[in-house]
Amino acid sequence: MDFNLTREQEMLRDMVREFAQRELAPKALALDAKGEFIHDIIKKTAELGLVGIITSKEFGGTGMGHLARMLMIEELSRIYASLGFFFQTGQIGMYAIENFGTPEQKQKYLPALCKADKIISTALTEAGGGSDPSAIQTTAELKGDEYIINGRKVMISEAPVCDLAIIVAKTGDKFSAFIVEKGTPGFTTSGKENYVGLRSLPVGDLVFTNCKVPKANLLGQEGKGLAVAIGGISAVGRTGVAGVALGTAEGAYAAAVKYAKERKLYGKPIAELQAIQYMLVDCNMEIETARWLCYKAAVLLDQGKSPRDAGDDITRCKLYSCDIASKVALRAIQIMGGYGTIPQYEITRRLNDSIELFTAAGTQEIMKNTLARSIIA
Amino acid sequence: MPGDIAVCIKQVPHPDCLAKLSLDAARGTVNREGVPAVINPVDRNAVEASLRLREKLRNRVIALTMGPPAARKALEDALAMGADYAVHLCDRAFAGADTLATARALAGGIRSTGGIALIICGNTTIDSGTGQVAAQLAEMLDFPCVTDIEEIMPEDGASLLVKRAWEQGDIRVRVRLPAVLAVNAKINQPRLPNVLDIMAARQKEIKEWCAADAKVEAGCVGLAGSPTQFWQAGEFHARRQGEILRGSPDEMVAAAVDKLKKLELI
Repeated sequence: MDFNLTREQEMLRDMVREFAQRELAPKALALDAKGEFIHDIIKKTAELGLVGIITSKEFGGTGMGHLARMLMIEELSRIYASLGFFFQTGQIGMYAIENFGTPEQKQKYLPALCKADKIISTALTEAGGGSDPSAIQTTAELKGDEYIINGRKVMISEAPVCDLAIIVAKTGDKFSAFIVEKGTPGFTTSGKENYVGLRSLPVGDLVFTNCKVPKANLLGQEGKGLAVAIGGISAVGRTGVAGVALGTAEGAYAAAVKYAKERKLYGKPIAELQAIQYMLVDCNMEIETARWLCYKAAVLLDQGKSPRDAGDDITRCKLYSCDIASKVALRAIQIMGGYGTIPQYEITRRLNDSIELFTAAGTQEIMKNTLARSIIA
Repeated sequence: MPGDIAVCIKQVPHPDCLAKLSLDAARGTVNREGVPAVINPVDRNAVEASLRLREKLRNRVIALTMGPPAARKALEDALAMGADYAVHLCDRAFAGADTLATARALAGGIRSTGGIALIICGNTTIDSGTGQVAAQLAEMLDFPCVTDIEEIMPEDGASLLVKRAWEQGDIRVRVRLPAVLAVNAKINQPRLPNVLDIMAARQKEIKEWCAADAKVEAGCVGLAGSPTQFWQAGEFHARRQGEILRGSPDEMVAAAVDKLKKLELI
């Protein structure tokens, strides 16, 4: 068993770390307060080849793999989780197109997505529930060469700014996935919701009213739409959320360690107090555990395991990392005392971001259900 | 510009981890264990300056370093930034070199590479900070040398115009080629390598040369060739003591001046 990164992975990690320090660290507080989509920064990541990091070179990507992606998301989220989370959501759609799309769909969409010239949303959740895909009410009815789509997807990341969306709709008694482009008559997006965390990623609704989509935009086979969506959400979404959680925890922990070494009480740094040390040790242990769960899931995908075969590892890394991110952020606040809840100290943002991760790409409870099923199978 | 650009770089401890370094007083060396190593920060500016010149002049950029096997990583980073190939001067004979012995090894490497029209270095390193190597290298190669450069402007193929700063402005110097230039951190912002560059770096060549390959005699380099050698090292612990002066502004100023005089500081 080799715990070492390759030289390329090390160089990628260093490059992303420096990018985050240059481009995100000085602005993170203001970006979070503003809460606007950070397309300009995302474009810079695309120029560095990061948006297409799991997309094949053939389609404009860089194809460095899932562990490289995990390192990238971890490093970005350590400074500003919103940008890390962009890679979680955006790359679900790209993964789905590459793995289930026709050659024409891949050529048409992936190069522009890798350059961040276009933004993609993936939409499963409806008002009737996100955790239960079978409750989807949106319908797609085939008439001639077109599907007529009606329904509403809610709480969709990047919905207000997306150029195309992958959605899942009912086709008869089964579900199918479609690519819907912005500008298609009958397809509108709503204004963004005001969420407490991950504020640079706008979240909103996708609305379909007699929206006519060409038959060529069916993604994967008709009736196999859930496999398209769940495959992407599992392999890319859950690992992505886990990476964001890991980086968020690391950011909070680093701030707490720095503060504990600088803040003096009773004539010495509070880092010398055992009560503080124990909290730091708990954070350290949890982060290290989360990191290896995350890396393992990513390595399995790089080894060619399917999202189903790597499913338990993916579930564990999502469940555990999201669990510890908020714990670490809360401990950091506790260590920093009154300063911890002042936004300028950037720990409340970590907590707010970590809260958003509980429900992303499957709730913590759904993760437990999934793992439980596997254990007792 | 006929000829290639050699950019000399050094691997140093990561600037964010300098507090983790400790001194081995007995051996007179710095204990670097557990401290990650990177390209000396201003040497990255030198690599960037070389690459920008290449974009205009269409020559090759060769990254050069002298150091132990681990220094290869610094060259890999330079290759990922865009250098065409690299030369690693790696030989036990090079160990323990002072600046003069380092410059001899680098000069040997540059002569053996051949066809170098311009050498760009960082102005100084964060671990030793002498700023001597560029000038020594120029002397050995009989090239002109300009240091502390903030801007390089290509002219014709025979010369470059460079700008160096001083307190009240800047000085522009026309330097004939071949030449040695030492740049400071103001000259540019080093680029970040993109993912494809990182992946392509592995395909690029790193030539590993011993003293014989660089055509330098073992006795002229490393510890044996160093006219300056470690004698003694000690750690200095600064102790600070604050004192708050009270009274009117005039009284406080008078008291401060009085104290500084007593300490013979003014």
